[in-house]
Amino acid sequence: MRNQLEKLVALQDLDLMIQELKEVQELGFEVKTESSETLKNARDEMTAKIPRPLLGNYERLRKRYKRAIVPIKDDKCLGCFMKLPTYLLTHMQRDEQVITCEGCGRILYWLM
Amino acid sequence: MAIDDLISYFREDLFFADFIAETKEDALDKLVEKFVDAGIIKNKELVSEMLHRRESIGSTGIGKGIAVPHGRTTAAPNLTIAFAKVSDGLEWDSLDGQPVHLIFVVVAPPFEENNLYLPVLGRLVEFLSKESNRDRLKDVTSYDEFKELLTE
Ligand SMILES: [Zn+2]
Repeated sequence: MRNQLEKLVALQDLDLMIQELKEVQELGFEVKTESSETLKNARDEMTAKIPRPLLGNYERLRKRYKRAIVPIKDDKCLGCFMKLPTYLLTHMQRDEQVITCEGCGRILYWLM
Repeated sequence: MAIDDLISYFREDLFFADFIAETKEDALDKLVEKFVDAGIIKNKELVSEMLHRRESIGSTGIGKGIAVPHGRTTAAPNLTIAFAKVSDGLEWDSLDGQPVHLIFVVVAPPFEENNLYLPVLGRLVEFLSKESNRDRLKDVTSYDEFKELLTE
């Protein structure tokens, strides 16, 4: 069973694919005509598994920043480069909960 | 961007001159595993899901025995390319129906400072469109030879 954060990350990955479908096709790659439909259906399936308030937050962030989920590097949010407080980082590693940056509000993802 | 930049996205621990896989799916899974072994990604499942989904909307087999599976994933810290040579050839639903012998897996983060993912992908496709480059890649046995070819 995937945790909420993993579901959101999978959703962002899918959104990235949808966004660059045309560019990738222009490079000479095969993109079937029904691809948009296939990906839209996959997106609907995914979003159905994510609690509404969380999904709503993701969509709002996506509109505002383009990328709603950003990684943490050197204890910093890579969206706004604010140094994250220690309690937040330990909390996040322990619970694998969805944590947002206090500076920009983006959802944080621990890469390693 | 010069072609010598292309090599900077490859790594010796993601270079496989004698790669063995049963099927396209098997090859993708095994190569994602290699990204994990190399310490580049942690979440294998997310990256696999992205690459398999990409194949489902159109094969990344671009013909002439080459496949370039690619995509962005939140699970990737930077733009990285893995190279694998399969001597027996793999069925990849390629545009020309030919089996695949050379696989380039291009994995990119959701955003990079210089936004190089699409240009690099394009550059790679361009490099591979030259018959002489393809022929020489088929003969490459070491990372040094590979590096030489890409930086010429
Ligand atoms: Zn932030």
